[in-house]
Amino acid sequence: MYNPLLELARRLQDTSLRLDLSQSTWAVPIIGAIHVLAIAWFGGTVLIPDAQLRRFRRIGLAMLLITGALLFWSQPLRLYYSQFFRVKLLLLVMILMIYCLPVRLARWIMLLSLMLWAGVIFASRGIAYQ
Amino acid sequence: MTFENSWLFPVIESTHVMGLAAFVGTVVLADLRTLGAIPDIGPLTRWTHAGLAVMLLTGAAMFFSDSARYLHNPAFQVKITLLVLALAGHFTLRRSGTRFTAVISLALWTSVVLAARAIADFDV
Repeated sequence: MYNPLLELARRLQDTSLRLDLSQSTWAVPIIGAIHVLAIAWFGGTVLIPDAQLRRFRRIGLAMLLITGALLFWSQPLRLYYSQFFRVKLLLLVMILMIYCLPVRLARWIMLLSLMLWAGVIFASRGIAYQ
Repeated sequence: MTFENSWLFPVIESTHVMGLAAFVGTVVLADLRTLGAIPDIGPLTRWTHAGLAVMLLTGAAMFFSDSARYLHNPAFQVKITLLVLALAGHFTLRRSGTRFTAVISLALWTSVVLAARAIADFDV
């Protein structure tokens, strides 16, 4: 059966960028640090459902997605086979879906996203210790 | 104190990260509000203090699980020094709420986060 995610992981695994990222001493620590910094800078926007923070929230999300994609690129196959990473991806897809709900549901979006983000954090730490 | 269960440390660490998002996340919002970069978004201090309490509790738990190892870690030493400075500033200078103290606060907490993350990289 054709598996697009596994196919993507395999292709990324064979790129020169994957080699550069995984063989560099400082690339992954620095990208990981920026990833955590984004959690610190933009974590407040998950707690405060104010619509005025929408743009700020999106900047944070973009920063997390870009650094997260690079971290994935540094070890695509290991992450593909990690159960915790699969849970994390699933939760992230759910978060992106509820962010598309209408603004008048702001309170519900906040409550739901709060729980989902907590799950994302647990799953993320799980990846590191697996 | 040692953690016999392999899952306990990651769970405490995850809770620490959640505290980080709440604490530094709302400090950053308050500082950006002071700087006029974002509009007024209502009270934040409850989240700030709840996040800080969670961070201190989980941080202490992780430290005492292997204190000698942390004390010898250069990144940990830098982090604690910056943390003491940032906390002192948070409860004194920052109260005045000027643009200057907001910038100092942002710079200090950013440095604390970066040094904290580096603890894992300097672990031997």
